[in-house]
Amino acid sequence: MPKIKSKPDRVKSDRRFGHSLQLQKFADENRRRLDGFLSPLAREKEVTKMPFISKIERQSDYRSFPPNHPIVIDNGGSYFRIGWAGESEPRVIFRNIIQRPRHKITGETVTVVGDHDPALLKYFDCTRSGPRSAFDSNVVYQFEIMEYILDFGFDRLGADESQINHPVLKTECLCNPVQSRSKMAELLFETYGVPSVAFGIDAAFSYKYNQQLGICSGDGLAICSGFNTSHVIPFLNGEPVYEACCRTNVGGYHITDYLKQLLSLKYPHHMSHLTWEKAEDLKMEHCYIAKDYVSEVHLFQKGDMEAEEKTRCWQLPWTPAPVEEVPSEEEVARKAALKEKQGQRLREMAEAKRFNRINDLENEIRDLDILLQRLRDASEHDIPSILAKTVHTSQQEVESALSKATQSLRKAKGEPVESLEKSDPSSVDRYNLISIPDEMLTPEQIKQKRKQVFIKSTSDARQQKKQKQLEEEMERERQKKLEEERRLENPELYLEELRAKHRDLSEKVEQRKRFKTNGGQTNGNENGSGGVGRGERLNSSQRERMRLLTTAAFDRGKGEDTFGAKDEDWQLYKLMSRDNDDDDDDKPDPDEAELTRLSSRLQEIDPTFFKPEPGSSSAEAPPRFRPLTKEDFQIILGVERFRCPEILFNPNLIGIDQAGMDEMVGVSPRRLPSKGRDVEDKMTESILLTGGSCLFPGMRERLEGGIRMIRPSGTPIKIARSSDPILDAWRGASAYASAMQFPQQTFTKMDYDEKGEDWLRSYRPRYTI
Amino acid sequence: MEPEVMEAEMVLPTHMWFKKIQTYDKYPKGQARVRWKQLKQIIPAENYQNYPPEEPNYVNIETPPSMHPCRRICDITGYEAPYVDPRTKLRYANAQVFKVIRSLPNDYVQRYLALRNAAVVLR
Repeated sequence: MPKIKSKPDRVKSDRRFGHSLQLQKFADENRRRLDGFLSPLAREKEVTKMPFISKIERQSDYRSFPPNHPIVIDNGGSYFRIGWAGESEPRVIFRNIIQRPRHKITGETVTVVGDHDPALLKYFDCTRSGPRSAFDSNVVYQFEIMEYILDFGFDRLGADESQINHPVLKTECLCNPVQSRSKMAELLFETYGVPSVAFGIDAAFSYKYNQQLGICSGDGLAICSGFNTSHVIPFLNGEPVYEACCRTNVGGYHITDYLKQLLSLKYPHHMSHLTWEKAEDLKMEHCYIAKDYVSEVHLFQKGDMEAEEKTRCWQLPWTPAPVEEVPSEEEVARKAALKEKQGQRLREMAEAKRFNRINDLENEIRDLDILLQRLRDASEHDIPSILAKTVHTSQQEVESALSKATQSLRKAKGEPVESLEKSDPSSVDRYNLISIPDEMLTPEQIKQKRKQVFIKSTSDARQQKKQKQLEEEMERERQKKLEEERRLENPELYLEELRAKHRDLSEKVEQRKRFKTNGGQTNGNENGSGGVGRGERLNSSQRERMRLLTTAAFDRGKGEDTFGAKDEDWQLYKLMSRDNDDDDDDKPDPDEAELTRLSSRLQEIDPTFFKPEPGSSSAEAPPRFRPLTKEDFQIILGVERFRCPEILFNPNLIGIDQAGMDEMVGVSPRRLPSKGRDVEDKMTESILLTGGSCLFPGMRERLEGGIRMIRPSGTPIKIARSSDPILDAWRGASAYASAMQFPQQTFTKMDYDEKGEDWLRSYRPRYTI
Repeated sequence: MEPEVMEAEMVLPTHMWFKKIQTYDKYPKGQARVRWKQLKQIIPAENYQNYPPEEPNYVNIETPPSMHPCRRICDITGYEAPYVDPRTKLRYANAQVFKVIRSLPNDYVQRYLALRNAAVVLR
């Protein structure tokens, strides 16, 4: 199956509001749920809401329309609307997107057009194909998708003849590239057999429609902010002036995308809740246009009551973690008893084992005694025969085995074992060979001498250590005495000093611990030093290790390998090994030892001293130990509410270097062929707001303020919102197509073939007919 | 297909009676897919330079850059931003936000920059 490539960031994902009754219910429920969570305080007066307008029931009266009755299509960036000329409502409306998921059971790839009940999508595997649109910016470029959409539209309109035997009026963007226009015409002529076609601009139809309603006059401006782009189109005598139009590539799509991105950056944990359609909902429900961005933002920066009221909060589904019940007295007692019982059993087992061992050893000793007795009594030549029955080879061995067994028995019984040193002969004959030079000794004696030297040195070292410990003990005693004296001299001062010392030291230890456990990830706001952050996360030894690793990784294979020629080279691996980092874990930290000493001392003399439990302060620091609360599942919309639509007026906020809507109103009249103050005044006297992005509350006021800044003082300004910014384009087109002179504005396949592409380039319908 | 899927008619039929050329004939399965020109490629192919410059076309109706001074807002909070962090190039409003910026991982910094099309793009 050829996969259709579409602009990847076009429409991210797309299940939206339903069409059938059941779906509408679903949507309503969703809305109610959302409303329920908003505090009543935080409700603002709702102005116009974007109507949720999907209608995809199949129409049954297709055959009742004569062949010359035109079909009107408003091919908008977000919605596709199709219906009959002369009617006031389009028959079929759906989102202008397709999806090509795979059916989970049969595995076939199917085409799904528009928006459907998300519940039905569970039968399809949508992971490999997101929603796609035929548009790149506001130009149709993907005609395979366009064809699926037209198929669906005509099908739902009820078409059942062998071709679409009706003229078609279709909207397109302003100054549509001829490539797109000719492809569209070809598609309609060749694939659907449409007899004749006309193309027109949606905003112009909307303007005409509202002109007929008396909302705007023949000379004026249409400000049309759609899904992908925003246009300003001046009209003179009811005809659009193409030369003076201007387009900024910002629309509703960008606003939703901006909101979605901002929220998912602000709440990375709730990314799954922040889908495209949710962002679209939030935008439609809560976004507004600030009269003045700077002063509005100051409100929020001060954070006073007014900002509070303007802040919206979306509570995500959240269930509190089950609270652990404090075990009852009975339970505690039961558990203690159980533990005691188990301990008892273990103790009994150990006792039994010990008893067995003692028994065994006693038996062995008795046997050996008997054997020894027999050996002593027996004559010289009987000894081998007696020994042959045992595992021993000589009398000495039997003796040594006996002494060993006796030792073990003593140990097992818990009696003090005679230390070797005590039983040893005096050092004089133990080390008798040391002072004699080697030359005077036999090889056997030299061996003996070495042994003696070794034993002597170890025992000396032991002695020295003992001595040192004793001295340290004495020193400590002395210190203690000294401190005690000082305490008695001035108890207050002493206590104060001790406390300060304890505080400093505990801070130091705590910080080091934190540094170690967090890998130095503490930010400026935690340890207060400020400068720690990106790029400074590793401590010095870790950094050094990283440096060594990288140099080692990149140096290999370059030039002559002399590694290992020197012994120091191997030192490198020692430095590299991870243990290097935390080798100070093995030996007790002197600071920590001092800290424990200090706190025990403080506990002794200071009744108010509270020893912090180990780990209590560090438990607060990492948030993962904190139980999640309701507040963690709230999405707060504050500045975002007006920051996102602000891009219509300041496209540079999202990196688009074009003037915003208010400035466009200044740019457009300057491009008019007939210049003059009175013409420009006429323009600003009849400004029509149309298109879905004009539905934001505050739009009119903001535009008026912006235009007043650009225009000379005293300029009459009248801005009107169109009667229905979303559907007026279709309604205008419908009225236009039902006019008597409409057939003259269309062209047939023959016209197109005859006149060629260059003619199509300059094709422009007359709007005043 | 499940009955409710069939009932909702959400799957587009492959054969349409009213079409003169069916989609499956136009885009047969297994054949190399059509490469649709994107707008970026469509516009040069329009050869606008061959026509008088005063004639309106898709490119020259675009709005020129704004004449107003560029509004600088804090990338994180949306407040007015008098400062720029030299390390991350993010704009920020006050010291509090600065601390947040410094604690942000690099991919977040890049995503914030991408919002205003200022991220570092590796090619």
